[in-house]
Amino acid sequence: MDVVVVGGGLAGAAAVGALRAEGFDGCLILIGDETLPPYERPPLSKGYLRGEETEPHLVHPEPWYAEQDVDLRLGTRASRLVASERVVELEGGERVAFDAAILATGSRPRRPPIPGLELEGVFDLRVAGDADRIKAAAAGSSRAVLIGMGFIGAEVAASLRHLGLDVSVVEPFSVPLERVLGPILGGAIASLHRDHGVEMIFGDLAERFDGAGRFEALVTRAGRRIEGDLAILGVGVEPVTEIAGPEVEVGNGIVVDETLRTAAPGVFAIGDVALHDHPVFGPVRVEHFDKAIKQGEAVARNVLGADEPFADAMWFWSDQYDSEIQMSGYATAWDDMVVRGSIEERSFAAFLLQDGVLRSTVTMDWKLDARRSMPLIAAEARPERELLADPGLDLRTLHPPKDAT
Amino acid sequence: MSEWVKVADAGDVAEGEINSYTVGSRTIAVANVDGDLQALDDTCTHQGCSLSEGDLDGTIVECPCHGGRYDVMTGEVVGGPPPEPVDVFDVLEEDGELRVRTRDDD
Repeated sequence: MDVVVVGGGLAGAAAVGALRAEGFDGCLILIGDETLPPYERPPLSKGYLRGEETEPHLVHPEPWYAEQDVDLRLGTRASRLVASERVVELEGGERVAFDAAILATGSRPRRPPIPGLELEGVFDLRVAGDADRIKAAAAGSSRAVLIGMGFIGAEVAASLRHLGLDVSVVEPFSVPLERVLGPILGGAIASLHRDHGVEMIFGDLAERFDGAGRFEALVTRAGRRIEGDLAILGVGVEPVTEIAGPEVEVGNGIVVDETLRTAAPGVFAIGDVALHDHPVFGPVRVEHFDKAIKQGEAVARNVLGADEPFADAMWFWSDQYDSEIQMSGYATAWDDMVVRGSIEERSFAAFLLQDGVLRSTVTMDWKLDARRSMPLIAAEARPERELLADPGLDLRTLHPPKDAT
Repeated sequence: MSEWVKVADAGDVAEGEINSYTVGSRTIAVANVDGDLQALDDTCTHQGCSLSEGDLDGTIVECPCHGGRYDVMTGEVVGGPPPEPVDVFDVLEEDGELRVRTRDDD
């Protein structure tokens, strides 16, 4: 059997690692358009951006690929999947035949058509080279302007404050991360950044970047002019779906079923690009680190015939200043929130419920409970509010028996 | 020479729990899996977090920082980002003491 993995990020690297760990000894090709072997992206907005880590953190050490007989094609772009012929076409014309293809092409930063986006000194952040460029620009700067305060914007704001820059952020919602966390929990993030001296301008949008060849100021929809030495756009990502030919369905991502398969035989998708029909949450496209690894591990088993649904409750973390935020599950709406700890003191677990079912848990400087919620979320449990609110209650005592799921 | 070192009183690690102890320059985690003790290096090979601050589920300990999973019986990585296994050590309870033995080169 020949397996080709398209995409040299974390999910693709996890998939090839898991295929070999599961004993697959057939031909295995990993195609990535970056020149670095697959590396972890979370440090790019944190320790790597602050200069505390000087080398990208590789998923597998470089010699691993040769040792494991993985044909690692870096700096190589796959241009088209021809599912009916079970072929991936590479830029330059080479055709790579496969029995199973794993599409793990990831996502790229959204670049809304804002005038001045092309000015020198305006950045976005996705790859190690972006972090290098921002770090270099920050070194000679005193003031940064950020557009968007999702997780990337919030982490970059924290890192740039750490480097001593003044930071202003323009965010259309009323608090950071409002769409993900809602106004109350987003308010805790806002207070964290306020205490660290970030100027946050809510309810406003980027209208244009001004400068004579080089960024000088952001002008907002409301007419504010915010001067700075560099600007960083952090307004979300879009899935990189161009490879999928007409035989593979694309929505907000490459459409896969519960087992990570597309409708085309032998073609799977994982990681940021996969719009996955999750058994608990329905169709979701999620950009988490842990999920990328676990989908890589799961797709390896399914390529080898396991045919298991991917039912992980999903989890991620974000480090900002000395605070650690964690979140498990997935919720776009909830009608009840139960808190243990204190939101005001920014040390809490917040349980988000819809119709009594636990959908998501958000923690801030509160150990373990985000992860301990995962079996409850996966089982669509209806824990009692009093138990959730009790910090002394170990959530593991509420877990369903293992054989019940 | 390797020698047994008392790290706590016997019974210090309850069933299903994992604690950590300092032995020389190392921090050793001791897990209690259904009454059997297992000792392993407490430091995750991914980013250096303390494994004993994570949860033990059967024989699997999960790093609380980034989700690395190790089998405490062998120290092998069973999932997540850690690039390397962790060392495992001898451990026993004797004469009312919980004892760990690190190796010569530790």
